[in-house]
Amino acid sequence: MIEEVKVVSHRFNINNSHLLDTILSYGAYRVLPIGLSMKKDSILDMIVQSGLRGKGGGGALAGEKWLLMPKDDPRPSYLVVNCDESEPGTFKDRQIITKDPHLLIEGMILTAYAIGANIAYIYIRGEYQDFEAILQKAIDDAYEKGYLGENIIGKNFNLDITIHRGAGAYICGEKSALLESLEGKRGHPRLKPKAKEPEWYFGNPTLVNNVETITSVPFIIENRAAAYKRFGTENSSGSMLFALSGHIEKAGVHEVAFGTSMLEFINQFGGGVKNGKKLKAVIPGGSSTPILTADEVAKATLDYETLRSLGSSLGTGGMIIMDEDTDMVEALKNLLEFYHDESCGQCTPCREGTGLTDTLLAKILDGRGSSKDIDKLLDLADIMNGKTICVFAPAVSGVIQSFISKFRDEFEKKEIK
Amino acid sequence: MSINIKIDDTNFEVEDNSLLIDILLKNDIKIPHFCYHEALGADGNCRMCMVEIAGQKRPQIACDTFAKEGMEVFTKTASIHAVRQDILELELINHPIDCPTCDQAGECKLQDYYMDYGFYESAINSSDKIKHEKHKDLGSNVILDQERCVLCARCTRFTTDITKTHELGIIGRGDEARVTTMPNKKLDNPYAMNIVDLCPVGALTSKDFRFSQRSWLLTSSPSVCHGCDKGCNIYIDHNKLKYQDAKIYRFKPRYNKNINGHFICDEGRLSYKELEENRQYNLLSDNKVISKNIAIETLNSKINSYKNNITILVDANLYNEELEAIKSYALSIGAKIFSPLSSYMDNAFGDDWLKSSMRASNAKGIKSLSINTEITEDYTTTGLLINFNHPNPDLLSYLELVEFKTHINNEKDKEENLNLIFPLAVSSESEGTLINKNNITQYCKKVINKNSPTPTALEWILDITGDIK
Ligand SMILES: Cc1cc2nc3c(=O)[nH]c(=O)nc-3n(C[C@H](O)[C@H](O)[C@H](O)COP(=O)(O)O)c2cc1C
Ligand code: SF4
Ligand code: SF4
Ligand code: SF4
Repeated sequence: MIEEVKVVSHRFNINNSHLLDTILSYGAYRVLPIGLSMKKDSILDMIVQSGLRGKGGGGALAGEKWLLMPKDDPRPSYLVVNCDESEPGTFKDRQIITKDPHLLIEGMILTAYAIGANIAYIYIRGEYQDFEAILQKAIDDAYEKGYLGENIIGKNFNLDITIHRGAGAYICGEKSALLESLEGKRGHPRLKPKAKEPEWYFGNPTLVNNVETITSVPFIIENRAAAYKRFGTENSSGSMLFALSGHIEKAGVHEVAFGTSMLEFINQFGGGVKNGKKLKAVIPGGSSTPILTADEVAKATLDYETLRSLGSSLGTGGMIIMDEDTDMVEALKNLLEFYHDESCGQCTPCREGTGLTDTLLAKILDGRGSSKDIDKLLDLADIMNGKTICVFAPAVSGVIQSFISKFRDEFEKKEIK
Repeated sequence: MSINIKIDDTNFEVEDNSLLIDILLKNDIKIPHFCYHEALGADGNCRMCMVEIAGQKRPQIACDTFAKEGMEVFTKTASIHAVRQDILELELINHPIDCPTCDQAGECKLQDYYMDYGFYESAINSSDKIKHEKHKDLGSNVILDQERCVLCARCTRFTTDITKTHELGIIGRGDEARVTTMPNKKLDNPYAMNIVDLCPVGALTSKDFRFSQRSWLLTSSPSVCHGCDKGCNIYIDHNKLKYQDAKIYRFKPRYNKNINGHFICDEGRLSYKELEENRQYNLLSDNKVISKNIAIETLNSKINSYKNNITILVDANLYNEELEAIKSYALSIGAKIFSPLSSYMDNAFGDDWLKSSMRASNAKGIKSLSINTEITEDYTTTGLLINFNHPNPDLLSYLELVEFKTHINNEKDKEENLNLIFPLAVSSESEGTLINKNNITQYCKKVINKNSPTPTALEWILDITGDIK
């Protein structure tokens, strides 16, 4: 029996948990006085010690990123929370903003305090209009009760939070494209810096973290790093919201410790594959992670290291379950249509590669393909890997390679038709 | 600080931290690229300038790689060739095959690189290629063919970062991305046509030049624009077709770090037309064509009869050598010489970049020769005025006017001008030096040789003074 962990989800089941009046009686904002009385360095240290990893897909150590923020810099610092959540199969951040928005706000205040930011933005996916309304109300209420604005809870710290709505581009979830978009420009990822440095918003040092990463902060400050590290594995410390969708009895989001068995998770929380069918494959962490066969799923545990050793990655923890009847060529076509539509179009290999792979796969599905086309798909995957500005194209490359290498016979059968 | 790097087994001493692509370009090492441009910097979108760096797992783009001590760069390995070929193939996947009707053909980077890396079969049918707008009038004489565009963003970066006029942007994502104008905006800035030169392919063409000449038929001769005293460096692209006269088809900017960088203004660019249109070709007196001997005789007899009452005006666009000759000529016939510069001032034209309000290309030359730049109040003449193409002879009162002129100014000038008129060669048909506003002296060689050449000021002076014994 897997035990659920309650770092960010402990108030999800309370009625009207999104309302400040309700949630105050369940301890909302109780960590603020502790955090705002601490030295900034002690908070930074605590986050480093906790081993907290970014939950937006990359899994970077949060503490390392926070330490990149300059200490005595004349420029203002900014905190930007990434709530673009557009990765297919991923719907965890929206649980947080609709079920416990005040925990996110509390986490933002503590984070902003630690990095010395007085202005924070939440970049929210354009389609999340209804959820944004809930989040905005929470922010308004927090202002009214003195949790936001000037002299928060009477302390010498100010913070303003503004929500910025995206316009429906998946690429704006990539942090540098997000910042371009926030600056009012086209959402194009930026060239990577040569050395480790913070992100830049209008040339000012900026920290970008995922919603869930920031929402984990109050727990760590209240219970100390060791309490967080108790969950999870040596290198993947803590817990994460994992999502189930696809051919599953019960789709949903559950928080468990890293290292949990994937199959057990699927069976216990999802009630197994839909209609008692056999499991064929799982896309483990949002559509951009390479697919796992049922055999691999049996070996998989939900942590960064294990999934990497299986040639995939933990990503956003959004698992897409596929039953035995799934047509893998159709499934890949579905994904490629998405990437074809969402490539930002900057880099030649990605702009043209996403289109061409989609076109070739359509040809194969039409029965007009040949094994030459399958090889061409693999060639294209190779061209898209490691030659672009952001990791969008390499991710597509990994997806194509995993589908074809693991299910090549299904692709070949299509040609004969 | 200078450091040592190795490129394809040759050692180079370069500035620490300098951009690899600049080093390669400077040393004439082949490095295909669409988006990088010295004036616009790196954007990293085309991915063509891939090189191998020892110790790096993946190929790197040279436009975003900085030289470091001991760096080993490989630009010619088989794997780099393959990568460039792959990326070029994708660049061409949706590209129309327009070369036969495309103005860029012959000076197109896509064509050049295809010859270097291409030669493969297309992976899709031409009917499956993505369709976009083929003829989009952006404004300012620039036509966009979205299908030919390789989305290098040079044009958008020019209007965003250089002119800061923000007329252009890229809309749409993935292979639907395309360049367009911002809503309710037209391309509208005095430097707009530079994007035609910046465009590495035939996506942007000049309305003025389109379909007028194939690029490989043109000869490019270095010269200097005469539009103002900035003296931007240009190429005069001209051609002499069989049985026809030499003709200028366009001006293009010529790089000069100290003057105009990579660009010129649109007005200067289009000023080539003035070198061809409304030219004064005939020697006239009383609006009748006369012979050279008679013209010179007539002039000399006028000079004799107006002794001590002669004034000479000179155009501040003439070359120093011409001005000098005219100046000594003035001295020899006892004439005063002026070049009023106020006639050339055009404050609406000037800006704080290239365009200068002083619209005479050799105003500084006039000054350096100590020719009077204004007509002093106490100076009056009622005698003979000899005007070497100065635009405003009516600044002075005179009894008689003799004109050396390059152009017929208007209809009236054509039909009713009874003066003695000597046709004068334009700048492209003459040669000499100019001094620009920053005191840089530049030489312009004679570029155009007409079938029946019009004499230059220098040639006229020689002819005329040859007669005065
Ligand atoms: C194509 C692409 C899409 C992304 N989308 C998201 C997203 O929707 N939400 C998110 O938090 N991170 C997303 N990321 C990851 C962000 O770039 C960034 O790493 C993350 O927001 C950092 O926060 P974290 O360290 O807390 O995870 C995306 C990355 C890529 C390459
Ligand atoms: S890899 Fe694709 S999505 Fe990323 S910057 Fe390049 S074109 Fe845009
Ligand atoms: S842009 Fe170049 S490759 Fe394309 S049609 Fe014109 S000349 Fe040919
Ligand atoms: S129109 Fe030309 S300059 Fe502009 S993006 Fe396209 S190829 Fe580049």
